[in-house]
Amino acid sequence: MEFAKKIVETTEEIFSTMIFMDIASEPPFEEGKQVLGCHVSAMIGLTGSFSGMLGIHCPENVGLAISGAMLDMEIDEINADVKDALGEIANMAAGGIKERFAAENIDLELAIPTAISGKSYTISSPTKSNRLIIPFRVEQGRFFIEMKYNLN
Amino acid sequence: MKYAQDIANATQEIFSSMIMLDVVPGEPFQRDGTKLLNGISGIIGLAGEVKGLLSIHLPNKASLDITTAFLGMDVEEVDEDVCDAVGELANMLGGSIKTILDPSGSKVQISMPSAIHGEEYAVDCLTDSESVAVPFTFNDQTFTVELQIGPKSL
Repeated sequence: MEFAKKIVETTEEIFSTMIFMDIASEPPFEEGKQVLGCHVSAMIGLTGSFSGMLGIHCPENVGLAISGAMLDMEIDEINADVKDALGEIANMAAGGIKERFAAENIDLELAIPTAISGKSYTISSPTKSNRLIIPFRVEQGRFFIEMKYNLN
Repeated sequence: MKYAQDIANATQEIFSSMIMLDVVPGEPFQRDGTKLLNGISGIIGLAGEVKGLLSIHLPNKASLDITTAFLGMDVEEVDEDVCDAVGELANMLGGSIKTILDPSGSKVQISMPSAIHGEEYAVDCLTDSESVAVPFTFNDQTFTVELQIGPKSL
């Protein structure tokens, strides 16, 4: 189903058209790897032909840089603007993936995004689910787009 | 929001039938962006004609007791089993709320659940949504179940 390709294409499209930041994808992590050292995340549920959840996870400085670029303002702490910006990116990424699957007659619906933030947290997915994490490099470091899913 | 009673009923039913614990609902409230300390949250998305998010927030101790009762095995720290159990709780609660939001069964679906745990974190809803949180107690412990419904879906 080429999840990785869809995620990379969608993310590149969002960053080049909406955020105007250069990003470079790195090889995906497969099963079982935890994303460590992230301080702000946004996640959104997907349902339909399969069920899943998409997330974007950023270390603090990367989250600030991305949301600052997207909103065109200086941001120096993780505040509501940063959470909203990442939630919107998660929403757009899920929307882009939905469109790409729709072209293959695989229908999906999106839930609403939620933000997770804090000094220390770990996000787990059900043990039996599939999980794909793609790192993207920006000037300030790396962020991660995660897709977990169960084929029904 | 009108779903507080439905959340109370669904949660009590799941806890009494699946986990063999009696939980008592308290007064519904609006959860603000308060940080959660030494806790674990299970979240699951609702999509289709109604879009939303259902979450359950538990202090670590409550999650350990619930997992122990749920799986019938002793757990002493927040490990993979606890994360799975909390994700499964979110899944069961989401499934139950879905039948209330969508009695016909065809218009709303639930996503995959996810569990978040940590020493200090916040879970915020982003869309301009309506939300209600219901606190529960059992054996001197507490947890909260929260439902957020997105705009244009009611």
